[in-house]
Amino acid sequence: MPEHQISMVLDLNKCLGCQTCTMACKKLWTDGDGMDYMYWNNVETRPGQGYPRNWDRIGGGFENGKLRPSEIPSKEDYGQTFEYNYAERLFQGSGLQTMPNDEVRNTPNWDEDVGALMLGENYYFYLPRLCNHCTNPACLEACPRKAIYKRTEDGIVLVDQERCEGYRYCMKACPYKKIYFNELLGKAQKCIFCYPRIEKGEVNACAKQCPGRLRFVGFLDDPESAVHKLVHVYKVALGLFPEKGTEPNVFYVPPFNPPRTGSYGKSVLEDPRMPMDYLKYLFGGEVVDVIRSLEGELHRAQNGGTSEVLQLLIGRDDQVRYQIPKHEDLVQIQGVRKA
Amino acid sequence: MSNRRDFLKLGALAALGASIPGCRRADKPVLEAFTGTLDPLHAYPYRTWEDLYRKQWTWDKVVRSTHSANCTGSCSWNVYVRNGVMIREEQAADYPRISADLPDYNPRGCQKGACFTEYVYGPQRLRSPLIRAGERGEGKWRKATWDEALALIAGKLLDNIYQYGPDTNSYFSVIPAMSPVSFSAGSRFAQYTGGVFCSFYDWYCDLPPGEPLTWGVQTEACECADWFNSKYIVLWGSNISQTRIPDAHFAWEARYNGAKIVGISPDFNSSMVHADLFLPINPGTDAALALGVAKYIVDNNLYDAPYVKEQTDLALLVDKRTNLFVRPPNVADVFFFQDAKSGKRHEAPGSMGSKEKTIALNGADPDLHYSDGEVTTVFELMKQKLAPYTLESVAETTGLSLSDIRQFAHEFATRKPAMIIHGAGLNHWFHNDLINRSLILLVALTGNTGKNGGGFNHYVGQERVWPERGFKAYSFPEGVKKQRMQNMTLWTYVHSSNRDPHLYNGRPIEHYIEESIQNGWMPLYPKNRKQKPRALIVWRANYLNQAKGNEYILKSLWKDLDFIVDLNYRMDTTALYSDVVLPAASSYEKSDISTTDCHSYIHPIGKVLDPLYDSKPDWEIFRDLAKKMAQLAAERKLAPYHDQQFGWDRDFTKTYDLWSGNGQFMQPEDGANFIMANSPETKGLTFEDLKVHPQRFRKIDEEAWNSEIKPDQAYTPFQHQVESKRPWRTLTGRQQFYLDHQWFIDFGEQLPVYKEPLGDSAKYPFFWNTPHGRWSIHSTWRDARYQLRLQRGIPIVYIHPDDAKTRNIQDNDWVKVFNDNGSFVSKVQLLPGEKRKRLTMYHGWERYLGFLQGGWQSPTVIKIKPTQLVGGYGHVNFKLNYWGPTGNNRDVRVDIVKYTPTAADLRTIRKGTKEKV
Repeated sequence: MPEHQISMVLDLNKCLGCQTCTMACKKLWTDGDGMDYMYWNNVETRPGQGYPRNWDRIGGGFENGKLRPSEIPSKEDYGQTFEYNYAERLFQGSGLQTMPNDEVRNTPNWDEDVGALMLGENYYFYLPRLCNHCTNPACLEACPRKAIYKRTEDGIVLVDQERCEGYRYCMKACPYKKIYFNELLGKAQKCIFCYPRIEKGEVNACAKQCPGRLRFVGFLDDPESAVHKLVHVYKVALGLFPEKGTEPNVFYVPPFNPPRTGSYGKSVLEDPRMPMDYLKYLFGGEVVDVIRSLEGELHRAQNGGTSEVLQLLIGRDDQVRYQIPKHEDLVQIQGVRKA
Repeated sequence: MSNRRDFLKLGALAALGASIPGCRRADKPVLEAFTGTLDPLHAYPYRTWEDLYRKQWTWDKVVRSTHSANCTGSCSWNVYVRNGVMIREEQAADYPRISADLPDYNPRGCQKGACFTEYVYGPQRLRSPLIRAGERGEGKWRKATWDEALALIAGKLLDNIYQYGPDTNSYFSVIPAMSPVSFSAGSRFAQYTGGVFCSFYDWYCDLPPGEPLTWGVQTEACECADWFNSKYIVLWGSNISQTRIPDAHFAWEARYNGAKIVGISPDFNSSMVHADLFLPINPGTDAALALGVAKYIVDNNLYDAPYVKEQTDLALLVDKRTNLFVRPPNVADVFFFQDAKSGKRHEAPGSMGSKEKTIALNGADPDLHYSDGEVTTVFELMKQKLAPYTLESVAETTGLSLSDIRQFAHEFATRKPAMIIHGAGLNHWFHNDLINRSLILLVALTGNTGKNGGGFNHYVGQERVWPERGFKAYSFPEGVKKQRMQNMTLWTYVHSSNRDPHLYNGRPIEHYIEESIQNGWMPLYPKNRKQKPRALIVWRANYLNQAKGNEYILKSLWKDLDFIVDLNYRMDTTALYSDVVLPAASSYEKSDISTTDCHSYIHPIGKVLDPLYDSKPDWEIFRDLAKKMAQLAAERKLAPYHDQQFGWDRDFTKTYDLWSGNGQFMQPEDGANFIMANSPETKGLTFEDLKVHPQRFRKIDEEAWNSEIKPDQAYTPFQHQVESKRPWRTLTGRQQFYLDHQWFIDFGEQLPVYKEPLGDSAKYPFFWNTPHGRWSIHSTWRDARYQLRLQRGIPIVYIHPDDAKTRNIQDNDWVKVFNDNGSFVSKVQLLPGEKRKRLTMYHGWERYLGFLQGGWQSPTVIKIKPTQLVGGYGHVNFKLNYWGPTGNNRDVRVDIVKYTPTAADLRTIRKGTKEKV
C-alpha cells in the first residue's frame, strides 16, 4: 500500500457544469495527436448517457474479489471529434456553410442539461469525472504487462508510457471507463492527477482552474486536510459505485435539487424532485444519510445558526481547499502531523 | 511559424521516441513481467519515464493578460509560452482578498478563457488586410497591403465627408470597459473626423431602462463578492451558473453561509438545480409576480416605512385630476409631501429644483397615506394599482404554485438583507422598463437598496468603466458635446426596412419616433434626412451577426451602405460581409486595461507576443489610418471642412496630430496610463503596477458612483443616498417610481404595471428565446472548435419533449423555425427542462456556421417602445448608452416544423471536409 494517498472531494452542489476543468485538462495534457477524443476530465449531466456512452452500465471492477472485465467502449461511444471547413467558407468563397466533417451523432457532452423527468418535473446535476486513483485499482490488476502502478509516495495510479504495450485489458477492467487508448502511440493513457504539479505542491489544473471552487485536494491520511475531514470526520463525501470494489479516492458531496413545485419547505427526502434511488445507484445506500445530514446542516445555517461542515465547504480561499505539501517535504510534514 | 498542433505533435512524439527507441509491440517479448516478482501495487522500479509529463508542464515565459469579449468576467490570466508559441493559459488567481470573511475572487475565468489560444492560431484568424473580391458575404477576397487598404478607407471617408457630410460615416464598437484603449482609438478617430458614434448597451438590450428611470443612473450593481453578504438571493431571469461563471460561487457559498436561494426562470436551467426554491414562471409574466409580492408586503405592513418615506417618492403628493406631481406655481422641479407631525404640506428636500442638497427629513414625517379631495400620495396610487395583483390572480398569470409564491413573498419581506440578481432573461423583454421598475420597487419597499447584501443587481454587459473620468477624457478628448452620439436601435430601425406592425395607442411607432426627434429628445443621423448612412466602421464588435431584424438589415441597410470596414482578429459574420477587413491583433498581442461591474479591480491585457502574422493592435490601425488621412488631405490639398453643427473647421491634414494629442499618445500604454492618472479610482497606478496583480480601486469618482470603495468591504451602490442622505440623481431626488411625463401617463405607466408580452400566440404559438449561455460570449467562441466538440457541433434549438411530440420531431432532427420576419434551419434537441410553448437557442451563433438556412436572429424584428423615446424630463434625457430605446428581442413568436434536407443540403452537410488546422 502507498505511504500516503492523495485524494479529491468534489462538492456537486457547487458545480456549474461549465467544463473549465475539462478545458484546463485538455489544454495541458490531451492536446496532442491521438488524444483528440480523450477527456481525462469530463463533466456529464446525470442522469444521462455519460462519457463514454453508458460507461456505468458496461461493467468492470471486481465482484467477490474477482475482476469482471467488460467490452471496450466503441469509438462512437466516446463521441466524434469533428473538424470544420472554415477556410472554404470564410476565405475561399466556396458558397458552402461551415459544417463539421461528419454529421454529428454523438459527442462527449451530447445530453448536456437534459437529465430526466419524474412526474412531469425535470431533475439533473453535473458530475465531473476523472481517474479515481483507486486503492484497489482494477486496471492495475488487469494489466498483463504490469505497466500500471500505484506510486508509493502519493498513491497516484499511472500507466507507464514506456512499458505499456497497448493490450487494453485496463480499459476493460476499469469500472469508470477512465482509461483511453492512443491509437497513434499504441498506448493506454489516462488522468495522472497532475503529478508534476502535485509534486511541487501545486494543485491539479482541474482544481486550480475550477471557478465553481468545488474541488478539495489533499492527502486523505493527513488529519488536517479538508479531504480527510469531509470524508472521514464529517462523512459527507462518497465514492462512485462503491460496490465495484476498487475503493476510489475521488469523493463527491452528493447533490440535491430544489423541491418539487408546491413542496417548498418539505424535505427532499420526503418529497424529492430527484429520485433517491438514482443517487443510491451512483453512490450506494449511504447517500441517504449524507443527504439527511447535509439538509440538516443547511437548514441550521439558513435559520441563523452555523454549520462547521458548510463553512468548510464554502472554501473561502485555496488555503482552505488544498493542502498539498511539496513532495520533498511530504514525509517530514506527514510525520509531524501524525505525531 | 509553426502552429500549436504541429508543435505539440513534435513534442509528444519526440519525447516518447527519445525515451523508448525501437519500442514497438513486435520488438518486445510479451508478458515479460510475469516472469518476475513485480508487484506494481506496492513498488515499481521503472519510473524514469515519468519525466515525460513533467516536461509537458514547463514553459519559457509567462505573461499576464486577459480576453476582451464583453463577458463581464474581466478575469486575469497567465499565458504560457514555449518555443515561441502560446501553449495554454491558466487563471492568475491572485486577486487580493477583500476581507477574511468574504470568499476571494480566485480563480476568475471560464472554459472559454481557458482555450483562447485556440483562436490565436485558429483557422478563422485574419492574417493580412483583405479587400472584397466577390459579393458581400461570399468569402472571396484579395490580399492587400496595409498601405493600400488604409488609403482606400481614408479616401472613402474623406469623399463622404466632403460630398455627403461627416455624419454619413458611422462607427460602431462595444463596451469600453473590456479594453478602453482599443475602444478609444476609434472613438478619437470618429471625433476628429466628425463621424457618428453609435451606442451599444441599449441596442443590445443590456441597459436596464428601469434604472435610469427610477434611479437616474445607467446601471449600478454590487460587486459579486457582496452576494455572500446576502441572506436571500433571488436569481430572477439570471442563469449565473452559465452567464456569470467566475462569480456564481459567491451565491452557492452564500447559501452555505445561511442565505436561501430562489430561482425564477421558465426553464429548469443550470442555476435552478442548486436553488432552494425554483419558480418555473410563465415567460414574460415576471412583473405580475413582483407586483403580487409588493401587494403582499403592503397589505401585511411588511414595508420599511422610514426608508420608504425618506428614500422614495412614495410620499410625494400627486394631483388627482391631472395625474401630475403637485408642484409650486412658477418654480421648477420642487415637490411636496404632507407632514404627519405638523399636518402641513412640506417641501420635499433634495429634488432637482430644491435648494437643499440632502434628502434628510430633519424631523418631518411624510404621510404615506394622505389623501384629500384634490391630492393623494404616490403610495396610495400605488396601492390602487396593486389591487388586482392578489396572490391568487398572480398564481394564475404566472402559472406558479400559490403556496410557493406565498412563502416566497413572506420570506422576501422578512429575510434581510435580500437581493435580486437580475439578468437578460428579463431585460430583453419589450416591457423591460416595467419589469425593472416592478422589481426595484420590491427592494425599495423592504429597504434593501443601498445595503450590503441587498438591492437590485443587474448584470448584463461589461458596462462599467471604473476609471470613467480619465476614460471620457481620452475617448472623447474634445468632450461628448462635440461628438455625434447616436442611439443604435433607432439608427438601425430607421435606416433599414424593419417595420413594427404593432400599433401603440392606435399609432404606429414611426409617429413617436418623429415626435421624439422633432422634440430634440433623441438624435438621428445623418441630420439631413435625405442622406443615408454611407460608411460603417466596426471594431471590437460583430454588429451584423448580433443585430435584431437580421433579414431586414441584410436586404436594406446592408445594401444601402456602400462601404463597410471591419477590424477583427477573426473572420466573424460582420467581417465576412464587409468590403475591407483589417487584421487586428488578438487580446494576447496588445496592451490594454480591463474592468467590470462584477468586481472592483483593474488588471491588464498584456502583450504576450508581438502581433502575429500581418496583424496590428486596433490602436495602431486607427493611428495609421489617422496618418493616412492626414497624408491624403495634404496630397489632395483639401480646404478645411466647415462642420456647421459644431462650428468646427476641420483640417484633415491635422488628423493624426489631433488623434495623437500632438504626440502625447505614442503607444497604447500611454492611453492606459492617461486613463488611470486622470481617474480617482486609479490615480497613482501605472500600467506596470497592473502586471504585478490586479489592483483594487482606491477611491471613487463622486460624479460617477454612488458609494465609497472601502478597503475591507464589498462595493454596493447607493450608500451615498441611504447612509449619507445625498439626493438620488432623479427629478424628485428620490428613487422615483412615479413618472408624470405625459407619454407615461398616456400609456398608464406612470407607476410600474404588468403588461403582457407582445406577439400573436394564435398564429405563432412558441416564444423565441435566445439567452446568453455558457459556450460563448455572444458570438465569440461560438465558432471555436474546442467549444463546439463539447456541444453538438452546430446550432441547436431546444424544445420540450411534449411539444416535440406534437410536431412529430425527434431528437437531433433538422427543423425549421419561422415566422413572418424570417426563418432558419438547424438541429433540434429535446430538453425536459425547457418550458412548454417556448423554443430556445443560446445566442451568438455565427450565421456562417451550421445553419442550413438563415440565422438565430432571422425571426426577430426591431421593436421600439414609445416611452423609451422620451427625453426632456428631469433625469430622463438621451445619453449614449444611458438612455435611449433598447433593442429588445424576447417578445418574438415562432413556429417549428421538422425539416427534410434537400439534395443540396445533404451536400453541404457532408461537405464539411477536414482541413488542416
